[in-house]
Amino acid sequence: MATRDAVTVIGRGTHVRGKVAGDGDLEIQGRVDGSVAVDGDVTIEQGGLVASDVSGRRIVVRGAVKGDLTATESIALEEGARVVGDLRAPRVAIVGGLVRGYVQSGDGQGAPRGAVKSAAVARPAVAAKPAVPAAKPAVVAAPAPSAPRAVQASNGSPAARAAQPAPQQVAHVSRERAEAPRAISLAGGAPAAKQGPPPQVVPSLKKGAKGALKKKA
Amino acid sequence: MAQARTKNTVSGDASLIGAGTRVRGRVTGDGDVVIGGHVEGDVVVRGDVTIEDGARCTSNVEGHAVTVAGELAGDVSASGPVVVGATARLRGNVRGAQFSMEDGASFAGRVECEFELPDGLGEDHAAPARRR
Amino acid sequence: MASTVIGAGITIEGEVTADDDVVVQGTIRGKLTSRDAVTVESGAVVEADVASGPLSVAGAVTGNITSSDRVDLQAGAKVVGNVKATRITIADGAQFKGNVDMDV
Repeated sequence: MATRDAVTVIGRGTHVRGKVAGDGDLEIQGRVDGSVAVDGDVTIEQGGLVASDVSGRRIVVRGAVKGDLTATESIALEEGARVVGDLRAPRVAIVGGLVRGYVQSGDGQGAPRGAVKSAAVARPAVAAKPAVPAAKPAVVAAPAPSAPRAVQASNGSPAARAAQPAPQQVAHVSRERAEAPRAISLAGGAPAAKQGPPPQVVPSLKKGAKGALKKKA
Repeated sequence: MAQARTKNTVSGDASLIGAGTRVRGRVTGDGDVVIGGHVEGDVVVRGDVTIEDGARCTSNVEGHAVTVAGELAGDVSASGPVVVGATARLRGNVRGAQFSMEDGASFAGRVECEFELPDGLGEDHAAPARRR
Repeated sequence: MASTVIGAGITIEGEVTADDDVVVQGTIRGKLTSRDAVTVESGAVVEADVASGPLSVAGAVTGNITSSDRVDLQAGAKVVGNVKATRITIADGAQFKGNVDMDV
């Protein structure tokens, strides 16, 4: 009989109380209480009842599991699956069934803190946005000689620089930021206003989205 | 801070926060919301919420059906189904009537669906806490 | 009833209770109980008391065997333990150490 590729089947009428470990694939149609740790694929069939942590290469669940699932490749929950426990794998697909527990998939980071490749790919302008105000004066000063309003208060207030809407990319942000200082300057002193609320906005952007999310979250 | 003034550019009652738009503040309403841009602030609507691929939200999201295909840092509370697409990057806890997730999604958070395990497996186990 | 197969690379430490027939190719340590037939194949290791219907052994069993039916030890079998069964055959080449009780 083959050794490495043998499939183990825990039949519908079988109840295992203890540890199941080893190589090969495992198909659970019956009940397992204890722990399951195999190198191969684990399939918990509809009607299977597993009160146990399960670890394997690929785990497919169509039955009920009370325990954590950890896979080195993937976890898939299909119609009929009922899982109370954590799911951890590089790839997790839940196409049916119900889950209650912590799920970690992909790189396990979820939404990243900081400029992300998808954002950069979709809209380079957006990613460049935080960079521009934070950039060296040369970048901003060059295109914006014509709007001297904020140049005077150039203690380096990025808000001031950004208020000069010269760079195209900064357009949408500057629309927002430009409004703020303008509105405030109408209400009060211009130099004071420039150092007021706008810096709250800009520093978070200046450091990149990372800073923004840290402060806001 | 600018409240979201969403424009009706999508059919029906849906509002759209386009890809080039950045919102800082709460987004609330009765209809559906489709988010393609950046939102920092909670999104609380009666209708469906869709976070498109390329969108980035730092928001707690409440709605009926919630579909996440972009980036979301925040919790989701849906009275309907929650769908996490293959391009999604989601960090936060999810509560919904149903939950589905496509292969390829990056997700870190708790999922809470209401259901009972079959007899023979007992009640909820509190074990996950120790893992984290 | 679907049958249960414990594959060659698998080790179960604990109790296995089955309504269906069981084929053991791997290792069981603990207890094995089946209402139906049990087959311990060549290469399998059962360090457990076994209670079953008909039992066929070609591998190694260390433990007491209680069968409601017949017990057959094939060539290559190695059984250490007491056997209670209605009938028993021990093939040439099988190794056996223990008592046999055929009073049912």
